Amino acid sequence: MADVKSLLAQFEEISKNPQKLVKEYVEAGEKVIACFPIYTPQPLVTAAGMVPMGIWGGQCNPQLAGKYSPIFTCSLLRSCLEFGMTGVYKDVSAVVMPIICDTFRGMNSAWRAGVPDIRSITFIYPQNRKDPGARDFLIEELKAVREALEDISGNTVTNEKLQTAIRLYNRKNAAMRAFCRTANDHLDLVKPADRHHVMKAVTFLKPERAVEMVSELTAALNAEPVHRFAGKKVVLTGITCEPDDILGYFDQCGVAVVGDDLAQESRQYRTDYPSANSGMESLALHWFGVKGCSSAHDDNNTARGDMLAAMAKEAGADCVVLCMMRFCEIEEYDQPSVITQLEKAGLMSFSIDIDQSTSDSGQALTKIQAYAEN
Amino acid sequence: MGETPEVKKAKRPLPKSRVMLNALVDSIYQAAWDAEAKGEPVGWSTSIFPQELCATFDIPVLYPENNAAGVAARHDSPRFIATSEGELGYSNDICSYARLSIGMAHQMACDPNYEPPAVQRMPRPTFLLCATNSCFELLKWYECLSRELDIPIFMQDCLFNYGDAKPAKHWVAYGRSQIEHNIKRMEEFFGKKFDWDKFLEIQKISVENARLFDECVMMNDRNPSPLNGFDLFNYMAPMVVARGRRETTEVLLQLKREIQEHIDNGTTTFGSAPQKFRVDWEGIACWPNLGYNLKSMKKYGVNCVTNGYVGAWSLHYTPGSLDEMAEQYMLSSTNVVNTATMMGKRADVANHFQCDGMFCHINRSCKFMTYHMTCGREIVEEKCGIPVVFFDGDQADPTIFNEAQFETRLQSLVDVMETNKEAKQ
Repeated sequence: MADVKSLLAQFEEISKNPQKLVKEYVEAGEKVIACFPIYTPQPLVTAAGMVPMGIWGGQCNPQLAGKYSPIFTCSLLRSCLEFGMTGVYKDVSAVVMPIICDTFRGMNSAWRAGVPDIRSITFIYPQNRKDPGARDFLIEELKAVREALEDISGNTVTNEKLQTAIRLYNRKNAAMRAFCRTANDHLDLVKPADRHHVMKAVTFLKPERAVEMVSELTAALNAEPVHRFAGKKVVLTGITCEPDDILGYFDQCGVAVVGDDLAQESRQYRTDYPSANSGMESLALHWFGVKGCSSAHDDNNTARGDMLAAMAKEAGADCVVLCMMRFCEIEEYDQPSVITQLEKAGLMSFSIDIDQSTSDSGQALTKIQAYAEN
Repeated sequence: MGETPEVKKAKRPLPKSRVMLNALVDSIYQAAWDAEAKGEPVGWSTSIFPQELCATFDIPVLYPENNAAGVAARHDSPRFIATSEGELGYSNDICSYARLSIGMAHQMACDPNYEPPAVQRMPRPTFLLCATNSCFELLKWYECLSRELDIPIFMQDCLFNYGDAKPAKHWVAYGRSQIEHNIKRMEEFFGKKFDWDKFLEIQKISVENARLFDECVMMNDRNPSPLNGFDLFNYMAPMVVARGRRETTEVLLQLKREIQEHIDNGTTTFGSAPQKFRVDWEGIACWPNLGYNLKSMKKYGVNCVTNGYVGAWSLHYTPGSLDEMAEQYMLSSTNVVNTATMMGKRADVANHFQCDGMFCHINRSCKFMTYHMTCGREIVEEKCGIPVVFFDGDQADPTIFNEAQFETRLQSLVDVMETNKEAKQ
């Protein structure tokens, strides 16, 4: 069995070089479907015999995206548009785009104007999730996604293939949750950036490979003696917590990340696809099981804050860090309520800015230092 | 040398249609206060929620977007926005209508010395109506109001139409299901039975009012235009707050008569200055700066003869058809359709109105409408061959707008329009 250090290095390599992986897939004759945040029906892509890969922008100062994308819109989607317009995504066969906020409404138009050569498979999640018509609506939306994927792949997505893919994704979810739990017993080995590299790499890997690699890492960690971490512990919430510099600051200040509600990370893995009469129904029901997410309306309007407080307490953290994606209004609307709920639960919190268009994270360091010294 | 004393111009009396409109809006607010005094339900609603439902239940509803526009136009928005950004901790990135309204709701609920706006004071609501057609932010905003005031939301999820076709069958079915489900929930919440006959009547009135409003808008295609284009921003009010009322029909019929009189007499509310350029204004008004915008444009002989925003309440369906009604609520707002659809339509309108240019408000509060402009600019330039110029502003936050930039951009638009006219001659 490989040692923890070398396994973590593999995840880091993958998380930092998704283009290398795309090249490998394409050279092996496979088609890659790029999946925008947050919830894309990836089992459909797998069942269609193609490779789903998450796209999460990246640190860049957009030069072309501004033509279509206003400066005051989400920096993650501006980076994605820039990468689309500059050919970074040229090897993907299509993108899947769920409309989950206003910036995605705009991105739908911007992508068509700026990246006309890469097909966008767009669909929308119903927000009135308790309405009796919402389930049937979503199944039909997902059928249109399935049809588009079948068209690209030339393969038929049967119910059997889809159910098999769904079981695989549920195994992946379980593997990710097991890794997160185990990592908390080995905070000497799994630093905040390492944890992030694992989570991010998995968004680029085929699900079966992800399960294999993550399970091997978890087993390797379990073989190590449990480490009693004496420093401060936090839980992260938001869309992403990048670049690595920021995660490095946590480590530098002796702070461990013991849980997350990041869209790029655990938010994707905490809700399984439920068993249902068909694979399509299971995909749809997954959306109705999503809790505590800024992109999914919940009649319980303190659900997210309460969930974060429970997560932090369970993981032994005394603070939740709100990683505020610059110009992400859905997160901004939630921010005051989340802070209030955490305060009520006797927990600390602070916010840091996440901006893919700048490499200056000095403000985050100051806030993390202030927390660490408190 | 002493300064020349400022000569104040006598204000022109309001046209009869405006007097009627103001009385109607006042009566809507009064009805809400009367209900509040009796301990009856009062709603706050997004501007394009199916108003037919509460109108049928005869439950008063007020509209925070409409209210925010009025408060901002009277330069009273900063104190509410300050509460949201300061005491409550909201980011200044979120919509200024939302910041204003959440701040107002908080003051209303928590400040014993709450000082309401001078006019159009809203009572505290007991329920919320939220349609997602104008934007997704509305839903997040109403979640905040729901938390702040501890009241329920009735939602009509109107689905952003990302494709080029009309809403598919399953979209319409979901829309219809929500209307039916909302009626059931409202019956329980209000403790009243829904009167389907009255509903049909209100649908008929609503459709009639939408038709009349469209006719008034289209009458401005004459040259010179009978209306200063900003007038239409005022006449949106009854379409927002009283679309299902007979009084709105009366206001619109009166407006139509007044427009016809202008056409017959060759007069215009634009004033005596010549209308040198006809422009399509895109985007919501900069309410705190409306006067300055109008004055500047008049200086250059620019009349905004049409704008896309006022068409958001143009809901046409066959009364009695829930499917058509549900579909219309998924189509009417500028922000519920994709850019190719929206800006394609706007280009057609700009051509019909013989516009010389398009002036676009890059509204800091309205991200998707801004996308329409940045992504749709090429569509308009190609279909109409007219210049498209942007300026920065905001619908309710006065800190974003800059007078100098506005005038500079306006000048550049005028320069290009002038050059184009000379070339044509």
